[in-house]
Amino acid sequence: MTPVLEVSGYTLDYATRQGAMRALEDVSLSVGRGEVVGVVGESGSGKTSLAWAVMRHLPGNAIERAGALRLSGTDLRALPPRELARLRGRRIAMVFQDPSTSLNPTLTLGRQITEVLERHRGLSAGEAEAEAASMFAHVGLQDPRGLMRRYPHEASGGEKQRVVIAIAFACRPDCIIFDEPTTALDVMTARQILELFRTLQAETGVASLYISHDLAIVSGIAARVAVIHRGRIVEQGPTRKVLGAPAEDYTRDLLRAVPRPEERLTHTMPEAGAPLVSARDLTVRYGRASLFSGLLGRRSTEVVGAAEVTLAVQPGEILGIVGESGSGKSTLARALTGLASFDGRLNFAGRSVTGASDMGRDYRRDVQIVFQHPDASLNPRQRVREILSRPLRLYGDAKRRNAEAAVAALLEAVSLPPDFADRFPHQLSGGEKQRVAIARAFAPRPKLVICDEVTSSLDVSVQAAVIRLLARLQRETGAAFLFITHDINLVRQIAHRIAVMHRGRLVETITVEALHARGPAHDYTARLMAAVPRLTIGDSPHVA
Amino acid sequence: MPDIVRRLLRTPQGVIGLALVLLVLTLAILGPLAAPHDPDALSPLRRYRPPGGDFLFGTDQLGRDILSRLLVGARATVLLALLATFLGTMAGAVIGTASAFLGGRVDEAVMRTVDALMAMPSLLLALLIVSVLGRGSENAVLAIAIAFTPGMARITRSVALAVRRQDYVNAAIARGEGSFYIVTREMLPNVVAPIVVEMSIRVAFAIMLFATLSFLGLGAQPPASEWGLMVSEARRFMHLSPWMIVWPAAAIAFVAIGFNLLGDGLRDALNPRT
Repeated sequence: MTPVLEVSGYTLDYATRQGAMRALEDVSLSVGRGEVVGVVGESGSGKTSLAWAVMRHLPGNAIERAGALRLSGTDLRALPPRELARLRGRRIAMVFQDPSTSLNPTLTLGRQITEVLERHRGLSAGEAEAEAASMFAHVGLQDPRGLMRRYPHEASGGEKQRVVIAIAFACRPDCIIFDEPTTALDVMTARQILELFRTLQAETGVASLYISHDLAIVSGIAARVAVIHRGRIVEQGPTRKVLGAPAEDYTRDLLRAVPRPEERLTHTMPEAGAPLVSARDLTVRYGRASLFSGLLGRRSTEVVGAAEVTLAVQPGEILGIVGESGSGKSTLARALTGLASFDGRLNFAGRSVTGASDMGRDYRRDVQIVFQHPDASLNPRQRVREILSRPLRLYGDAKRRNAEAAVAALLEAVSLPPDFADRFPHQLSGGEKQRVAIARAFAPRPKLVICDEVTSSLDVSVQAAVIRLLARLQRETGAAFLFITHDINLVRQIAHRIAVMHRGRLVETITVEALHARGPAHDYTARLMAAVPRLTIGDSPHVA
Repeated sequence: MPDIVRRLLRTPQGVIGLALVLLVLTLAILGPLAAPHDPDALSPLRRYRPPGGDFLFGTDQLGRDILSRLLVGARATVLLALLATFLGTMAGAVIGTASAFLGGRVDEAVMRTVDALMAMPSLLLALLIVSVLGRGSENAVLAIAIAFTPGMARITRSVALAVRRQDYVNAAIARGEGSFYIVTREMLPNVVAPIVVEMSIRVAFAIMLFATLSFLGLGAQPPASEWGLMVSEARRFMHLSPWMIVWPAAAIAFVAIGFNLLGDGLRDALNPRT
């Protein structure tokens, strides 16, 4: 039987100013009918380049050195553009990472699918309309007719990704490439999308190339997996064999980096006694009443970001805060750092804090924050030296000591070489940037460090290293952490207690020991835990 | 920086603009040394000379060499226009960034004031300021700078609003930095690209505005060889010697075109997406 998609000996270069850069080297893989093949790799490994090569939509500076791409025997590289345009969407389709950018914001959701149906299947407008509605219903969308009249911004992320999937399946293609289709979605929504993928895949028997950085997701859906590293496929074979008994060091490293809740990374205990921070009925409202609507006596529409949150953190404690996006976890971080105004009572180290203007020098020094995206949290126009020396100048004893030595010591504390001080942020990798941001937060010797999704924009292996770094810094400095994340497996490794937030409210606070011993008390926590994909090596799907 | 120059040289308007501006700046700096005659030397016997011979561009109504006057006047015209643009741009950039950073009522108040000022044409505003401050080159520079400030403030604010949402600004606030540090060190360096582009285009406006003020008798005063003033004086003798008005007018156009092209080129060079 000839495979549906066959890539053999494919080598791709990108022409850059520094010369040709190898993106893919001698890549060979095949996807049969009804089969799901996972491609696992970190960012920059070439997995997305592979997807675009198959779709024949490479950037202008791409140079194809060797190899063949075949779709059911058709040589894709030899096809003229006109033929390719007919092929795309009909025989091969693609589902992208972010549904909010892969749908056209100026067309209704219905039009985006009927266009495909009319163009590739030659249906009339009326037939396409009916077919689209049944497709929408098939992918589990409520009120298909109503949704078809809506625009992308009027639908949720999960609904949009369902629409994208419906479009991909619309012409019953031979092969669909899924490029991280759940990465931009919430844990809960991601789980539903994965379920949908499984159902549709089994039903249509489409050959699927599933690209992801998440070993746990791939282990749950792919029969065969290819591990890609720096443009080369280092290992490929049945999922059970590759992930269960990896032959290559790189695969083993990747597997080790996946967070396992059983493995504790912190061994410190929080101090007993008076809490470092305690919040009572902390409420954050967004939306400012404008002067004009105030004059008209109109009430502004307020959005409650966090409602009546009551929690306490002991000195030296790591409190994990988990929840979906929009659950209010980042709002809490913004309130505690004075970036959002709040109502309610906040006590820090025995002193009452009423609002952002009340946060004095001591509070600002003692409470530090590390943001999610190091790209955004480090000023692109400042060198690492300036970024790190600023908090030292504000709070440290830099006057007495040599500032240069202090910056070097900070860099060393986060395992970066001292000569990084002269670099700009764009000259560093994502993990290195986040280390600089962490060093900046620890510079004034804070008592509380708020980590707002610090690892979610990083690769798995880098994420593991950053988590270990944070655990070490916690041990060395004794600072308390507020560790905000959507990954409940990760937080179980590092936190002493876990607070679960849902729609702005704190639904449960539970110690990790109790969670291990008795499981979650609240229903929502249980659902959240069930939604996180886990590495399932024992019961991988069978090879079709 | 060298990267930007390389990108600038990739577009025709960038190459031509840069060449013209460099030429003008060289003349403005070295002009007085290159002048063949004393720009203020009167020679009643050689008035209204057409171009040619000893006087390459001819002479004016008092027999002064027009080429020498242009070369010496370049410094007054171009450098003062640059100074005026720079002052106006900087003031506008700081006001716009601060307004975006502070937000709320302050932002509202600043931007409505800017709207009010922008409702007046900049020439009218400059005229108003000069007539209040009194005539003279320094006051004309100040007037142009003030006339440019509202527009620059509005442009800078729109860019700064995007920068304001970046986490490095939040990080600075959370760290307890003062507003002055955040505006000048965290935000301003990140809004500089559009400002530079706008500035290079506005230099051309400033030269024309400056020449206009001098032409109206409110900027440079005789016997200065400012280009606008030269045009103004030559107007009366147009029927006797049209060359007297052609040369300074051409010089103004030349510089304006140069800076405009440079601005267009910079806009493309500083935008990585083009």
